[in-house]
Amino acid sequence: MKKILIIEDDSFLQGLESTKLKKEGYETIAVSHKDEILKAIDTENADVILLDLMLPEIDGFDVLKKIRENLKFVKTPVVVFSNLSEDKDIDKAKALGANEFMVKASFTLDELVEKIKALLAAQTTSEDQP
Amino acid sequence: MEKENLQQENEEMKKIISAKSELLSLSAHQLRTSLSALKWTFKMFLDGDVGELAPEQQALIKKASDSNERMIALVSDILTLNKTDAGTLPYHIEEFNIVSLIDETLFEFIGESYKRGIEIIFLKPDSPIPNISADREKIRVVFENIIENALKYSSKGDKIFISINIRDAEVEIAVKDNGIGIKEDEASKIFTKFFRTSEAEQKDTVGTGLGLFTTKNIVEHHNGKIWFESVSNNGSTFFVTLPIKHNG
Repeated sequence: MKKILIIEDDSFLQGLESTKLKKEGYETIAVSHKDEILKAIDTENADVILLDLMLPEIDGFDVLKKIRENLKFVKTPVVVFSNLSEDKDIDKAKALGANEFMVKASFTLDELVEKIKALLAAQTTSEDQP
Repeated sequence: MEKENLQQENEEMKKIISAKSELLSLSAHQLRTSLSALKWTFKMFLDGDVGELAPEQQALIKKASDSNERMIALVSDILTLNKTDAGTLPYHIEEFNIVSLIDETLFEFIGESYKRGIEIIFLKPDSPIPNISADREKIRVVFENIIENALKYSSKGDKIFISINIRDAEVEIAVKDNGIGIKEDEASKIFTKFFRTSEAEQKDTVGTGLGLFTTKNIVEHHNGKIWFESVSNNGSTFFVTLPIKHNG
Protein backbone atom coordinates (compact mmCIF):
# COMPACT_ATOMS: atom_id res chain seq x y z
CA MET A 1 0.00 0.00 0.00
CA LYS A 2 1.42 3.39 -1.00
CA LYS A 3 1.95 5.79 1.85
CA ILE A 4 1.18 9.54 1.77
CA LEU A 5 2.65 11.93 4.30
CA ILE A 6 0.23 14.83 4.82
CA ILE A 7 1.72 18.01 6.30
CA GLU A 8 -1.29 20.25 6.98
CA ASP A 9 -2.05 22.36 10.03
CA ASP A 10 -5.79 22.94 9.50
CA SER A 11 -7.34 19.98 11.28
CA PHE A 12 -10.57 20.05 9.25
CA LEU A 13 -8.76 20.10 5.90
CA GLN A 14 -6.33 17.46 7.18
CA GLY A 15 -9.28 15.23 8.12
CA LEU A 16 -10.90 15.63 4.69
CA GLU A 17 -7.61 14.92 2.87
CA SER A 18 -6.88 11.82 5.02
CA THR A 19 -10.39 10.44 4.63
CA LYS A 20 -10.33 10.86 0.85
CA LEU A 21 -6.88 9.32 0.42
CA LYS A 22 -7.68 6.37 2.72
CA LYS A 23 -10.86 5.77 0.74
CA GLU A 24 -8.72 5.65 -2.42
CA GLY A 25 -6.59 2.91 -0.86
CA TYR A 26 -3.61 4.87 0.42
CA GLU A 27 -2.04 4.69 3.85
CA THR A 28 -1.75 8.16 5.37
CA ILE A 29 0.26 9.82 8.12
CA ALA A 30 -0.86 13.34 8.98
CA VAL A 31 1.21 15.87 10.92
CA SER A 32 0.68 19.53 11.70
CA HIS A 33 3.08 20.88 14.35
CA LYS A 34 6.75 21.69 13.98
CA ASP A 35 8.08 18.87 16.17
CA GLU A 36 5.93 16.16 14.63
CA ILE A 37 6.69 17.43 11.10
CA LEU A 38 10.45 17.26 11.72
CA LYS A 39 10.12 13.88 13.45
CA ALA A 40 8.08 12.50 10.53
CA ILE A 41 10.70 13.65 8.01
CA ASP A 42 13.38 11.85 10.04
CA THR A 43 11.58 8.65 10.93
CA GLU A 44 8.82 7.98 8.41
CA ASN A 45 8.89 6.75 4.85
CA ALA A 46 6.44 8.01 2.25
CA ASP A 47 5.75 7.51 -1.45
CA VAL A 48 4.27 10.99 -1.87
CA ILE A 49 4.40 14.05 0.39
CA LEU A 50 1.57 16.55 0.50
CA LEU A 51 2.82 19.84 1.87
CA ASP A 52 1.00 22.94 3.08
CA LEU A 53 3.13 26.10 3.17
CA MET A 54 1.58 28.28 5.87
CA LEU A 55 2.35 26.31 9.00
CA PRO A 56 2.62 27.36 12.65
CA GLU A 57 6.13 27.72 14.13
CA ILE A 58 7.85 26.62 10.93
CA ASP A 59 7.89 27.91 7.37
CA GLY A 60 6.62 25.44 4.75
CA PHE A 61 9.50 26.34 2.44
CA ASP A 62 11.97 25.34 5.20
CA VAL A 63 10.11 22.05 5.55
CA LEU A 64 10.44 21.50 1.80
CA LYS A 65 14.18 22.21 2.04
CA LYS A 66 14.53 19.68 4.88
CA ILE A 67 12.59 17.08 2.89
CA ARG A 68 14.91 17.45 -0.10
CA GLU A 69 18.02 17.42 2.14
CA ASN A 70 16.99 14.02 3.48
CA LEU A 71 18.50 11.35 1.21
CA LYS A 72 15.51 9.00 1.45
CA PHE A 73 13.22 11.73 0.05
CA VAL A 74 15.43 12.95 -2.79
CA LYS A 75 13.17 11.41 -5.44
CA THR A 76 9.89 11.36 -3.52
CA PRO A 77 7.20 13.41 -5.29
CA VAL A 78 6.22 16.46 -3.25
CA VAL A 79 2.91 18.14 -3.99
CA VAL A 80 2.68 21.60 -2.49
CA PHE A 81 -0.99 21.94 -1.59
CA SER A 82 -1.46 25.48 -0.40
CA ASN A 83 -3.68 28.49 -0.74
CA LEU A 84 -0.76 30.76 -1.51
CA SER A 85 -0.72 31.45 -5.24
CA GLU A 86 1.70 34.30 -5.90
CA ASP A 87 4.18 33.65 -8.71
CA LYS A 88 7.03 34.16 -6.26
CA ASP A 89 5.68 31.37 -4.00
CA ILE A 90 5.26 28.99 -6.93
CA ASP A 91 8.75 29.77 -8.26
CA LYS A 92 10.31 29.35 -4.80
CA ALA A 93 8.57 26.01 -4.20
CA LYS A 94 9.62 24.71 -7.62
CA ALA A 95 13.21 25.90 -7.07
CA LEU A 96 13.29 24.03 -3.75
CA GLY A 97 12.19 20.82 -5.44
CA ALA A 98 8.37 20.68 -5.37
CA ASN A 99 7.02 18.51 -8.19
CA GLU A 100 3.59 20.15 -8.26
CA PHE A 101 2.00 23.30 -6.86
CA MET A 102 -1.75 23.08 -6.40
CA VAL A 103 -3.93 25.86 -4.99
CA LYS A 104 -6.38 24.15 -2.64
CA ALA A 105 -9.31 26.43 -3.42
CA SER A 106 -8.93 25.73 -7.15
CA PHE A 107 -8.90 21.94 -6.96
CA THR A 108 -11.19 19.21 -5.70
CA LEU A 109 -9.85 16.26 -3.71
CA ASP A 110 -10.63 14.02 -6.72
CA GLU A 111 -8.22 16.13 -8.78
CA LEU A 112 -5.62 15.83 -6.02
CA VAL A 113 -5.97 12.04 -6.09
CA GLU A 114 -5.56 12.05 -9.89
CA LYS A 115 -2.37 14.10 -9.53
CA ILE A 116 -0.98 11.70 -6.90
CA LYS A 117 -1.81 8.70 -9.12
CA ALA A 118 -0.04 10.33 -12.08
CA LEU A 119 3.05 11.13 -10.02
CA LEU A 120 3.24 7.57 -8.69
CA ALA A 121 2.77 6.15 -12.21
CA ALA A 122 5.51 8.42 -13.61
CA GLN A 123 7.82 7.34 -10.81
CA THR A 124 7.18 3.64 -11.54
CA THR A 125 7.88 4.22 -15.24
CA SER A 126 11.17 6.01 -14.56
CA GLU A 127 12.24 3.26 -12.10
CA ASP A 128 11.51 0.62 -14.75
CA GLN A 129 13.84 2.25 -17.23
CA PRO A 130 17.37 0.83 -17.31
CA MET B 1 15.92 69.36 0.07
CA GLU B 2 12.51 69.15 -1.56
CA LYS B 3 13.77 66.38 -3.83
CA GLU B 4 15.03 64.45 -0.80
CA ASN B 5 11.64 64.81 0.90
CA LEU B 6 9.89 63.60 -2.21
CA GLN B 7 12.21 60.60 -2.44
CA GLN B 8 11.57 59.79 1.20
CA GLU B 9 7.81 60.07 0.70
CA ASN B 10 8.09 57.86 -2.34
CA GLU B 11 9.96 55.22 -0.34
CA GLU B 12 7.33 55.40 2.44
CA MET B 13 4.57 55.02 -0.14
CA LYS B 14 6.28 51.99 -1.65
CA LYS B 15 6.51 50.39 1.81
CA ILE B 16 2.80 51.04 2.46
CA ILE B 17 1.83 49.57 -0.92
CA SER B 18 4.01 46.53 -0.33
CA ALA B 19 2.53 46.02 3.19
CA LYS B 20 -1.00 46.39 1.78
CA SER B 21 -0.24 43.83 -0.90
CA GLU B 22 1.24 41.42 1.66
CA LEU B 23 -1.79 41.84 3.94
CA LEU B 24 -4.15 41.18 1.05
CA SER B 25 -2.23 38.05 0.09
CA LEU B 26 -2.36 36.73 3.68
CA SER B 27 -6.07 37.56 4.04
CA ALA B 28 -6.77 35.79 0.74
CA HIS B 29 -4.89 32.76 2.04
CA GLN B 30 -6.98 32.63 5.21
CA LEU B 31 -10.22 33.13 3.27
CA ARG B 32 -9.30 30.42 0.80
CA THR B 33 -8.61 27.94 3.61
CA SER B 34 -12.22 28.20 4.80
CA LEU B 35 -13.54 28.26 1.23
CA SER B 36 -11.54 25.09 0.39
CA ALA B 37 -13.09 23.33 3.39
CA LEU B 38 -16.56 24.29 2.15
CA LYS B 39 -15.74 23.35 -1.47
CA TRP B 40 -14.60 19.85 -0.55
CA THR B 41 -17.47 19.30 1.90
CA PHE B 42 -20.12 20.37 -0.64
CA LYS B 43 -18.48 18.07 -3.21
CA MET B 44 -18.74 15.14 -0.77
CA PHE B 45 -22.44 15.84 -0.27
CA LEU B 46 -23.08 16.25 -4.02
CA ASP B 47 -21.17 13.04 -4.85
CA GLY B 48 -23.19 11.09 -2.28
CA ASP B 49 -20.07 10.29 -0.22
CA VAL B 50 -21.98 10.92 3.00
CA GLY B 51 -25.27 9.35 1.95
CA GLU B 52 -27.89 10.05 -0.69
CA LEU B 53 -29.56 13.45 -0.62
CA ALA B 54 -33.21 14.13 -1.34
CA PRO B 55 -33.65 16.20 -4.57
CA GLU B 56 -34.52 19.31 -2.56
CA GLN B 57 -31.40 18.90 -0.40
CA GLN B 58 -29.28 18.27 -3.50
CA ALA B 59 -30.57 21.50 -5.11
CA LEU B 60 -29.86 23.52 -1.98
CA ILE B 61 -26.32 22.16 -1.58
CA LYS B 62 -25.69 22.84 -5.30
CA LYS B 63 -26.72 26.48 -4.78
CA ALA B 64 -24.46 26.77 -1.73
CA SER B 65 -21.61 25.19 -3.70
CA ASP B 66 -22.11 27.63 -6.63
CA SER B 67 -22.11 30.53 -4.20
CA ASN B 68 -18.88 29.24 -2.65
CA GLU B 69 -17.27 28.92 -6.10
CA ARG B 70 -18.23 32.54 -6.74
CA MET B 71 -16.39 33.56 -3.56
CA ILE B 72 -13.32 31.55 -4.61
CA ALA B 73 -13.33 33.27 -8.01
CA LEU B 74 -13.75 36.65 -6.34
CA VAL B 75 -10.72 36.08 -4.11
CA SER B 76 -8.64 35.07 -7.17
CA ASP B 77 -9.81 38.09 -9.15
CA ILE B 78 -9.06 40.46 -6.28
CA LEU B 79 -5.55 38.99 -6.05
CA THR B 80 -5.05 39.46 -9.81
CA LEU B 81 -6.43 42.98 -9.58
CA ASN B 82 -4.01 43.72 -6.74
CA LYS B 83 -1.15 42.50 -8.92
CA THR B 84 -2.25 44.44 -11.98
CA ASP B 85 -3.68 47.68 -10.57
CA ALA B 86 -1.68 50.47 -12.19
CA GLY B 87 1.06 51.74 -9.96
CA THR B 88 0.91 49.14 -7.22
CA LEU B 89 3.41 46.56 -8.37
CA PRO B 90 6.12 46.89 -10.97
CA TYR B 91 5.55 45.60 -14.46
CA HIS B 92 8.34 43.33 -15.68
CA ILE B 93 8.89 44.41 -19.26
CA GLU B 94 10.60 41.87 -21.51
CA GLU B 95 10.72 41.07 -25.21
CA PHE B 96 8.64 38.09 -26.27
CA ASN B 97 6.80 36.52 -29.16
CA ILE B 98 3.07 37.25 -28.93
CA VAL B 99 2.15 34.36 -31.26
CA SER B 100 3.84 31.86 -28.90
CA LEU B 101 2.13 33.44 -25.91
CA ILE B 102 -1.31 33.09 -27.56
CA ASP B 103 -0.46 29.47 -28.48
CA GLU B 104 0.40 28.76 -24.83
CA THR B 105 -2.78 30.46 -23.64
CA LEU B 106 -4.89 28.44 -26.10
CA PHE B 107 -3.32 25.26 -24.78
CA GLU B 108 -4.94 26.01 -21.39
CA PHE B 109 -8.38 25.97 -23.04
CA ILE B 110 -8.06 22.77 -25.13
CA GLY B 111 -9.90 20.63 -22.57
CA GLU B 112 -12.73 23.09 -21.98
CA SER B 113 -13.30 23.83 -25.69
CA TYR B 114 -13.28 20.11 -26.57
CA LYS B 115 -15.71 19.32 -23.76
CA ARG B 116 -18.06 22.09 -24.89
CA GLY B 117 -17.78 21.28 -28.61
CA ILE B 118 -16.45 24.74 -29.50
CA GLU B 119 -13.63 25.11 -32.01
CA ILE B 120 -10.92 27.73 -31.47
CA ILE B 121 -9.09 28.71 -34.66
CA PHE B 122 -5.90 30.76 -34.46
CA LEU B 123 -5.29 32.41 -37.84
CA LYS B 124 -1.56 32.92 -37.68
CA PRO B 125 0.03 35.61 -39.86
CA ASP B 126 1.93 34.58 -42.99
CA SER B 127 4.92 36.74 -42.20
CA PRO B 128 6.70 36.73 -38.83
CA ILE B 129 5.44 39.12 -36.17
CA PRO B 130 8.18 41.10 -34.40
CA ASN B 131 8.70 40.50 -30.69
CA ILE B 132 6.85 42.94 -28.47
CA SER B 133 8.08 44.54 -25.24
CA ALA B 134 5.55 44.06 -22.45
CA ASP B 135 4.89 42.20 -19.20
CA ARG B 136 4.45 38.66 -20.56
CA GLU B 137 2.50 37.24 -17.61
CA LYS B 138 0.11 40.17 -17.44
CA ILE B 139 -0.53 40.03 -21.20
CA ARG B 140 -1.27 36.32 -20.71
CA VAL B 141 -4.00 37.34 -18.19
CA VAL B 142 -5.46 39.65 -20.89
CA PHE B 143 -5.87 36.81 -23.41
CA GLU B 144 -6.97 34.31 -20.78
CA ASN B 145 -9.81 36.65 -19.80
CA ILE B 146 -10.91 37.44 -23.37
CA ILE B 147 -10.78 33.83 -24.58
CA GLU B 148 -12.47 32.58 -21.40
CA ASN B 149 -15.34 35.03 -22.01
CA ALA B 150 -15.63 34.03 -25.67
CA LEU B 151 -15.90 30.38 -24.61
CA LYS B 152 -18.30 31.11 -21.78
CA TYR B 153 -20.85 32.78 -24.05
CA SER B 154 -20.53 30.40 -27.01
CA SER B 155 -22.52 27.22 -27.52
CA LYS B 156 -21.82 23.77 -28.92
CA GLY B 157 -20.81 23.96 -32.59
CA ASP B 158 -19.73 27.62 -32.36
CA LYS B 159 -16.31 28.77 -33.54
CA ILE B 160 -13.90 31.30 -32.07
CA PHE B 161 -11.40 32.97 -34.40
CA ILE B 162 -8.22 34.65 -33.22
CA SER B 163 -6.28 36.79 -35.67
CA ILE B 164 -3.21 38.96 -35.37
CA ASN B 165 -2.00 41.86 -37.52
CA ILE B 166 0.63 44.56 -37.52
CA ARG B 167 -0.68 48.13 -37.76
CA ASP B 168 2.15 50.69 -37.90
CA ALA B 169 4.07 50.34 -34.62
CA GLU B 170 1.36 48.26 -32.99
CA VAL B 171 0.22 44.70 -32.97
CA GLU B 172 -3.54 44.16 -33.15
CA ILE B 173 -5.17 40.98 -31.93
CA ALA B 174 -8.84 40.19 -32.54
CA VAL B 175 -10.86 37.48 -30.80
CA LYS B 176 -14.15 36.86 -32.61
CA ASP B 177 -16.93 34.62 -31.37
CA ASN B 178 -20.42 33.94 -32.66
CA GLY B 179 -21.92 33.63 -29.19
CA ILE B 180 -24.72 35.55 -27.51
CA GLY B 181 -23.22 39.01 -28.07
CA ILE B 182 -23.58 42.06 -25.83
CA LYS B 183 -26.82 44.02 -25.46
CA GLU B 184 -26.66 47.62 -26.66
CA ASP B 185 -27.73 49.11 -23.32
CA GLU B 186 -25.00 47.16 -21.49
CA ALA B 187 -22.15 47.82 -23.91
CA SER B 188 -20.88 50.99 -22.23
CA LYS B 189 -20.52 49.24 -18.84
CA ILE B 190 -18.59 46.16 -20.01
CA PHE B 191 -15.20 47.34 -18.70
CA THR B 192 -16.56 48.69 -15.40
CA LYS B 193 -15.45 47.16 -12.10
CA PHE B 194 -17.89 44.48 -10.82
CA PHE B 195 -20.25 44.91 -13.79
CA ARG B 196 -21.94 41.71 -14.98
CA THR B 197 -24.26 41.55 -17.98
CA SER B 198 -27.78 40.21 -17.50
CA GLU B 199 -26.76 37.14 -19.58
CA ALA B 200 -23.74 36.61 -17.32
CA GLU B 201 -25.95 36.77 -14.23
CA GLN B 202 -28.15 34.05 -15.70
CA LYS B 203 -25.57 31.77 -17.31
CA ASP B 204 -22.40 32.11 -15.30
CA THR B 205 -22.61 31.48 -11.60
CA VAL B 206 -18.89 31.95 -10.95
CA GLY B 207 -17.98 35.26 -12.66
CA THR B 208 -17.20 38.30 -10.55
CA GLY B 209 -17.27 41.21 -12.97
CA LEU B 210 -13.57 41.91 -12.50
CA GLY B 211 -12.14 40.10 -15.54
CA LEU B 212 -12.61 42.74 -18.24
CA PHE B 213 -11.91 45.58 -15.81
CA THR B 214 -8.54 43.99 -15.00
CA THR B 215 -7.94 43.28 -18.70
CA LYS B 216 -8.48 46.92 -19.67
CA ASN B 217 -6.28 48.05 -16.80
CA ILE B 218 -3.38 45.90 -18.03
CA VAL B 219 -3.78 46.87 -21.69
CA GLU B 220 -3.89 50.59 -20.89
CA HIS B 221 -0.90 50.27 -18.57
CA HIS B 222 1.00 49.17 -21.69
CA ASN B 223 -0.38 52.20 -23.60
CA GLY B 224 -2.50 49.84 -25.64
CA LYS B 225 -6.19 49.93 -26.48
CA ILE B 226 -9.05 47.50 -26.01
CA TRP B 227 -12.55 47.73 -27.52
CA PHE B 228 -15.22 45.50 -28.96
CA GLU B 229 -17.84 45.26 -31.66
CA SER B 230 -20.93 43.26 -30.90
CA VAL B 231 -24.42 42.51 -32.10
CA SER B 232 -26.86 41.10 -29.58
CA ASN B 233 -27.35 37.37 -30.25
CA ASN B 234 -24.81 37.53 -33.08
CA GLY B 235 -21.37 37.38 -31.50
CA SER B 236 -18.68 39.77 -30.35
CA THR B 237 -15.18 40.66 -31.47
CA PHE B 238 -12.73 41.98 -28.91
CA PHE B 239 -9.74 43.92 -30.24
CA VAL B 240 -6.50 44.58 -28.37
CA THR B 241 -3.67 46.72 -29.67
CA LEU B 242 -0.28 46.82 -28.00
CA PRO B 243 2.72 48.94 -28.95
CA ILE B 244 5.58 46.81 -30.26
CA LYS B 245 8.10 48.89 -28.34
CA HIS B 246 7.21 49.53 -24.71
CA ASN B 247 6.67 53.23 -24.09
CA GLY B 248 5.04 53.21 -20.66
